[in-house]
Amino acid sequence: MRPLAPWWDIRDLGNAVGALLEWLADVGAPSWLTYVVSSLVGMLALLGWALGSQLFFIWAERRLIARMQVRLGPNRAGPFGLLQPIADALKVLAKEMVTPRGADRILFWLAPIAVVVPAITVLAVFPFGERMVLADLNVGVLYLAAISSTAIFFVFVAGWSSSNKYSLLGAMRSVAMLISYEVVQVLALLSVPIFVGSMRLGDIVAWQRDYNAWLVFLQPLALLGFIIASAVEVNRTPTDIAEAESEIVAGYHTEYGGIRWGMFQLAEYIAGFAVAAVMATLWLGGWTLWGLEEWVPGWVIFLAKVYGAFFLFIWLRGTLPRLRIDQLMGFAWKFLLPLMLLNTLLAGLEVLVWRETGAPAAVVLPAFALGNLALTGGLVVGWAVLLGQLRPERRPARPLLVRELGAIYYRPLEEAREA
Amino acid sequence: MGAVAAFWVLSTITVGSALAVALVRDLVRAVVALVGSFLGVAGLFVLLSADFLAVAQVLIYAGAISVLMVFVIALTPRGARDNSETAMRWPALALAGAMTGLMTTVALVAHWGPQVKEGLTETAAAIGEALLSRYVLPFEVASVVLLAAMLGAIVLVREE
Amino acid sequence: MTGEPLVVNVGPQHPSTHGVFRMKLTLDGERIVDCEMIMGYLHRSMEKLAEERSWTQNIPFTDRTDYLAAMTGNLAYCLAVEKLASIEVPPRAHFIRTIMAELQRIASHCMAIGTFVNDCGAWHTPLMYMLREREKVLDLFELACGARLTTNYMRIGGVARDLPPEFLPRLRAFVQEMPQRIREYEELLVENEIIVARARGIGVLPADKAIAYSVSGPMLRGSGVAWDIRKADPYAAYDRVEFDIPVGTHGDCYDRFLVRLAEMRQSVRILEQALDMIPPGPVQTPVPLALRPPPGEAYGRIESPRGELGFYVVSDGGPSPFRFHIRPPSLINLTPLPEMVRGLTVADAIITLGSVDIVVGEVDR
Repeated sequence: MRPLAPWWDIRDLGNAVGALLEWLADVGAPSWLTYVVSSLVGMLALLGWALGSQLFFIWAERRLIARMQVRLGPNRAGPFGLLQPIADALKVLAKEMVTPRGADRILFWLAPIAVVVPAITVLAVFPFGERMVLADLNVGVLYLAAISSTAIFFVFVAGWSSSNKYSLLGAMRSVAMLISYEVVQVLALLSVPIFVGSMRLGDIVAWQRDYNAWLVFLQPLALLGFIIASAVEVNRTPTDIAEAESEIVAGYHTEYGGIRWGMFQLAEYIAGFAVAAVMATLWLGGWTLWGLEEWVPGWVIFLAKVYGAFFLFIWLRGTLPRLRIDQLMGFAWKFLLPLMLLNTLLAGLEVLVWRETGAPAAVVLPAFALGNLALTGGLVVGWAVLLGQLRPERRPARPLLVRELGAIYYRPLEEAREA
Repeated sequence: MGAVAAFWVLSTITVGSALAVALVRDLVRAVVALVGSFLGVAGLFVLLSADFLAVAQVLIYAGAISVLMVFVIALTPRGARDNSETAMRWPALALAGAMTGLMTTVALVAHWGPQVKEGLTETAAAIGEALLSRYVLPFEVASVVLLAAMLGAIVLVREE
Repeated sequence: MTGEPLVVNVGPQHPSTHGVFRMKLTLDGERIVDCEMIMGYLHRSMEKLAEERSWTQNIPFTDRTDYLAAMTGNLAYCLAVEKLASIEVPPRAHFIRTIMAELQRIASHCMAIGTFVNDCGAWHTPLMYMLREREKVLDLFELACGARLTTNYMRIGGVARDLPPEFLPRLRAFVQEMPQRIREYEELLVENEIIVARARGIGVLPADKAIAYSVSGPMLRGSGVAWDIRKADPYAAYDRVEFDIPVGTHGDCYDRFLVRLAEMRQSVRILEQALDMIPPGPVQTPVPLALRPPPGEAYGRIESPRGELGFYVVSDGGPSPFRFHIRPPSLINLTPLPEMVRGLTVADAIITLGSVDIVVGEVDR
């Protein structure tokens, strides 16, 4: 890590914090005070960033989806509708928080809180810049998987404590969906530490900077699997079955009103930022941009990548229809999971080959990149064909156009299947 | 000093949650308390600088075992979902007392000197190496056990 | 592991039931075992009210039965009364009626396809695109008759007034840009893997059952039966224009959706031909306001966007109808619904209901 620059060097905001801590030590504060101050600054900064981004993206998402739908979106509250999130927040705060009669009061109160806490806690390991990490754990990648898995249980608690059998059914479906895709997500995450050799997020970013190679080129299949699995984990369309109105079974947060429902939305957005940050750090190079971080602050680059990845989720939401829950689970277990296992095997093989042959990186990495990209395409299409996803009746079709009346062209689907 | 304070806080959380699991009436509240005790144990692992173990504890126990408990509750018939008094209370208390006595004796009698000469900074690498070199047989046997469990679950759920 | 059957009510207030319509579903686990349909929430006793009003005064009623296809409702009723009273319609009126009916078909199918894909879960995006086209059609209607939805344009013996001079050029512009838009929808929706996965094999209605239940319209054609009233019993100018009938092969929701989309393309084709062939002349045969048709009965039917819309009118020589009965395609098309949804999940049942394309005003009258 390079030495501490003067505090006004905003290319790395950790310089300012470092200067503050040095001043504290000079003034004679005890060491525990320095520690507490540094953690507090980090936590408040993260919290402020997460909440601020969420407010901004409430507006941005509605405007973007509206533009995709050939309409304007909110433009009444404030200039360009920028005060819309404030209006939404005020509305949510003013609504009545009803507790259903048979509900378990303690669990009903606990569930929204317990869903927000993991979403915010997971933000602690991301390196926003060289010195801008709250906790650069040695097991950073595993920490990400662990913290996001704790929220699943509290989704069930939310559904259970509502004393509404439809909420409970919805919660059970959500839990089944979440644990299926968690396996896929963790396997997709795993291939990066295998390749890089370390689970520390700071090390992963440093590897991508030193080799001038973003891992998206070297592990495209993992990124693809991670995007899909994360979209499911944060309950976004095309997989927002938990909150869909056209599914009769109500979602797990049906009985929650007011700020309690607001907390569930908060958790969804912040979890969305967290997975976008994972994508930006692990595959897209983190706060580095092939040398541009000498002039542009690293955290600006990182935030641009995070927001770009989140825009991908917004785009998917505006475009794709929803899958049915059993189709979703079939997709996870039959299609994605074998691919992710193959990808992990592949990553291990490539690292082994690299280490054994000792070839220079400039030769090996482009070879791996091309090979992996080709393999990704081949595996996705090939596995789909093997699973029968591209059978004739699963492909798009056109109707017959006839002139004469009276003929019957009906053929049952099973016969078409054998044809 | 901070470590000592942290230890007492974490221990209170862990032991309190564990007691709640046994004493609370409602089954789902008991499971929530169980998750609380899992998180407390993870904190204690952090206190011992076992970072990989702490995160694995959260991932496996608070993340996956809690969901297992969820399905257990869902599959329990409605009448048996009460965590209240049963006739097995007294044998259970006796067994718990015996276990507590055994563990206290072991804790007091064993030599708790330092086991490792220097602290490990990267426990994950050390655990990984140990699992694949010295303890590879238990590792593989555990994988076979997991495979058997998955196959058994599939066989149980299949509709003929 | 057995469970107890669960009874779930879909509607009458629900974002996806296309109106006030209630389905009582009995579920076993996730699958539907039985479906009971409860209608009548929108019953307005139009048939009885029509017996108090004169023949011409009943035309606004026909707007409001199928409120998403008012022009075709008007047309069917006027055809029935013209048959009853043996009234000839001038040729220009035939072409204007054809143009309005096909425009109405495009608008109604836009709504039907849009809400169907909405039920599949695409958060309103395709619906917004299709509503853009529907707005253009409704603007044309407003130009012709002053109203967008309840048009009240057809009269017994022709249409109410002639088209304004800017109507035909605007219609020509609309017809020229429409094929490209339909191609856009085909690329966005037909080629979409998720819609294929959601709608293929769902809500299957075999052809023999479809004929037995006397369904009509895109539902019948989706099941593979080539039957279209416009060719079987031609009215207005349909015997003078050329068009094809799209027919599905598997009778599932996806085929019905494809049939509707292809029908929009055929409607554009009919409009192009009608634009070239429309003759000048009068638009309405003079008919007394207090029309008294001779005693008798008549059944006039057309191909509305939902199916065969028929009006059975009986006259006893008086100024009001003795009997005014509507054969609603939505109601008849709903009858096979319990059989179609048996064994599906609730989400699929909602998609199936969307593909039947009901308008509750027609179901309940």
